[in-house]
Amino acid sequence: MTLAIILVIVAALALIFILGITVSRSLQVSEGASLAGKIQPIDVAAFRNLINPAEDDYLRRRLSASEFRVVRRQRLHAMAAYVQTAGRNAAVLVRMGQSALAAADPQTSEAARQLVDNALLLRRNAAFALVRIYVALAWPNSGLAATPILHGYERLNGSAMLLGRLQNPAVPVRISATL
Amino acid sequence: MLQAHSLLWHYLWVAPNAFLLLLALLLLRRGFHKKYPFFFTFAIVGALGQLIVYATDVIPSVTPGTWWLIFWAGLVIEGLLKFALIGEIFGHIFDPYPSLARIGKFLIRGVGAALVLAAALAAAYTPQDGLFGIVSGAHLLEQTIYLIEAGLLAFIFILSSYFHLSLIRPLFGIALGLSISACVHLATWAVIANGGWANSTRSRLDFLNMATYHVCVLIWFYYLLVPGEARGETRALSIDPPKGPSHKEELELWNRELERLVKQ
Repeated sequence: MTLAIILVIVAALALIFILGITVSRSLQVSEGASLAGKIQPIDVAAFRNLINPAEDDYLRRRLSASEFRVVRRQRLHAMAAYVQTAGRNAAVLVRMGQSALAAADPQTSEAARQLVDNALLLRRNAAFALVRIYVALAWPNSGLAATPILHGYERLNGSAMLLGRLQNPAVPVRISATL
Repeated sequence: MLQAHSLLWHYLWVAPNAFLLLLALLLLRRGFHKKYPFFFTFAIVGALGQLIVYATDVIPSVTPGTWWLIFWAGLVIEGLLKFALIGEIFGHIFDPYPSLARIGKFLIRGVGAALVLAAALAAAYTPQDGLFGIVSGAHLLEQTIYLIEAGLLAFIFILSSYFHLSLIRPLFGIALGLSISACVHLATWAVIANGGWANSTRSRLDFLNMATYHVCVLIWFYYLLVPGEARGETRALSIDPPKGPSHKEELELWNRELERLVKQ
């Protein structure tokens, strides 16, 4: 009977989760054009500085081991905040791109498809990067390659700008703060 | 094998399947079967299978042994069709995006293997309920199929929710109906297979299963036949105009950065 109770609880939780998604989906329908306002521009130059291995090497040489660990952890926390923001922006861009997928203009539709694909790639990479950052927080002396995130974010910015221009030439989408 | 059942029982057994056949015919006229062939096949074969099982239940000349054999055959065919349908749903959501298609397939295969293992363990730990092997085996198979089905569907919802991928209306309706059905049936068959309900009151669970399935068929009707709000239209992106360099300069700058990164 214990097994039955466990399976009933599992089924109930799955049902609640799926119904929750159904409700949130119906709420998203009215969100419309306010999506772009949810994008938080990222200072790519500052992020690039954070993930630069040369910066880490410099700090390692100049600081004692304990000081380096403290500084490294602070930098990793900052890095995680950037990656989380990039992931959230990617999610917003997925929704924006999907809303333009059925556009009558084939160029706009193709740009939207590319934007969604790039945004999905970035969100996936952001999830992997966050795992690596949290692992690095436990072992601050380990190396960390976050460059794919930066690369993906820059490519995503290009896709978002292209779709924005195709939909509304006066107001392209901007997801980076440095330019 | 005629059993004394109420009118509601007969209605709940026959009506959803008759409605599902009607839905399949309406979808055939709209050419829907080309886009979602497994849902179309599931609607036809699943509904016909259930109607055959119903007919053998009410025909007095059919022996209980024959009825359970027919029930088993229907269960296996419907189970296979449901898994094919889940694959179809997954393909429609993730295949258009190469960045997710590969990892998505890898993940769902992993989750599928884990669910098969969990279902096998659950079946192994389910106590014998003292019924004939063909009956308790059918209960176990129901529990196993619905455990894997509910798990796979929940995973698809989790993955698409994490990536903020909104499912198009028909696909969402199919997945929603199938998920509700799978979750409720998993709970009821788990109780039945584990002997957690007295035989005299077990028919209440059958009513719950049939009523849920009826609701799911109506959900499919709603999502597949009633047109929703036009979500695919192009919307202007309301964002602040650029304050820095022109688009051309911006693109050139990004391209320079990309080239620099590629050469690193």
